[in-house]
Amino acid sequence: MRLDRELACQEVVELMTAYLDDVLDPLDRERFEEHLVFCDGCSNYLEQMRATIVLAGHVSLELPPALEERLLEAFRGWRGS
Amino acid sequence: MEQVLSPEDERLVDGLRAGDESAFVALMRMYGAGMLRVALMYVSSRAVAEEVVQEAWVGVLRGIGRFEGRSSLKTWLYRIVANTAKTRGLREARSVPFSALGDETGDEPAADADRFLGSGERFPGHWSVPPQSWAPEGQLLGQETLEMVAREIDRLPPAQRAVITMRDIQGFTSEEVCNSLDLSETNQRVLLHRARAKVRSALEEYMR
Amino acid sequence: MAGIVIAYKFLSSGRIAPFTGFGWPVGEWVDAGGIDPCRHGVHACSVHHLPIWLDTELWEIELGGEVLEQARKLVAPRGRLVRRVESWNAVLLREFGLACLRRTRERVGSLPILSGYVADVGRHVVGGRVPLGAFAAARAAELRDGSRGYEQERGSQAAWLAERLGLERADVV
Repeated sequence: MRLDRELACQEVVELMTAYLDDVLDPLDRERFEEHLVFCDGCSNYLEQMRATIVLAGHVSLELPPALEERLLEAFRGWRGS
Repeated sequence: MEQVLSPEDERLVDGLRAGDESAFVALMRMYGAGMLRVALMYVSSRAVAEEVVQEAWVGVLRGIGRFEGRSSLKTWLYRIVANTAKTRGLREARSVPFSALGDETGDEPAADADRFLGSGERFPGHWSVPPQSWAPEGQLLGQETLEMVAREIDRLPPAQRAVITMRDIQGFTSEEVCNSLDLSETNQRVLLHRARAKVRSALEEYMR
Repeated sequence: MAGIVIAYKFLSSGRIAPFTGFGWPVGEWVDAGGIDPCRHGVHACSVHHLPIWLDTELWEIELGGEVLEQARKLVAPRGRLVRRVESWNAVLLREFGLACLRRTRERVGSLPILSGYVADVGRHVVGGRVPLGAFAAARAAELRDGSRGYEQERGSQAAWLAERLGLERADVV
């Protein structure tokens, strides 16, 4: 049975990204934070989402060298035209 | 929507217009790999995606003279590659066109259902196996962990991969992603959420 | 509500706001629009909100400007920490948990389906997860008596805190 106001962990987890983007309406945001006060599992999950974002922010992306070469050629062709 | 370009964007735009190769290389290195991931949302193969990126850059060079700065430079670049890829995807007449995105925003939970207690329990929907805390962030930031995160992102379904790349690797705002890819706020968030949740799960596994 | 309101605020160790990480100064007005302490205004508690937001440190806070009462908290445009409620500490937190346990035992201890909650509350309180124990107590009460039961249990928790912490002051002065 569910409580009137309660968010279960399963729902809290689904709201994490909206919470981090700060787009929850005030009541959901309040219920979300109310849950975090007593729930270590969800607090850990939230911290882990934050850590995941930080880690992703340190990932570097590289173009395949062959494609980079082709793009450069295209640029030089355009400049020369 | 009156937006002013950042000084850096302005310098790059001026450089590109002047045919300055270093401006082109800077932009290509900043956004080229992300643009490739956007292309992969709409076309079926890596080879075609690379062609799309090349075609898009040619479009960028042809259009840079008319670029008015009403959106940020990167939004404009990504719109061009997204539109080029969509057109190409339609031409390819793939059996699964844009619904590829629909599948990725479908009803797929972020955490495995068996991590939660069932409806007959005293705390239904609460953790049965709660996440444990990880090492402090500083210790997480090793080369090996970063490589693992990069690999996990690489393995995501195309739309999730493109959105997490733009938001978390390249620092787009949600609005910039929505504008670039013509996504609704909700779809953007669902894709990002699924993507982050999968990377988080993989990290959890790795920390054990 | 307008004028100066005296309220309470739970903070993590070192006067850190639990959700935003904002470090609260003592005695200085903090403007919600300025450095964005809680992003949507300064959050604080009336006595009856306290059991929901338990944390390590309890502070008395003055709220300024238009104070809104949301379902489970007060929100104001600015606030100023006045003094720490020193009597709030780990020992009292545990006693608070044991009081939740006693009430839960009285309320549902003899009911076949709900009596399991007594053990849950006990386990959490003894394990140092008092806020979870207090929630479990309120959940058990709601399952027996509906949302009125939930409010009743949270009300008892608030009354216990007010009495033991000497928070007799009217919220609005």
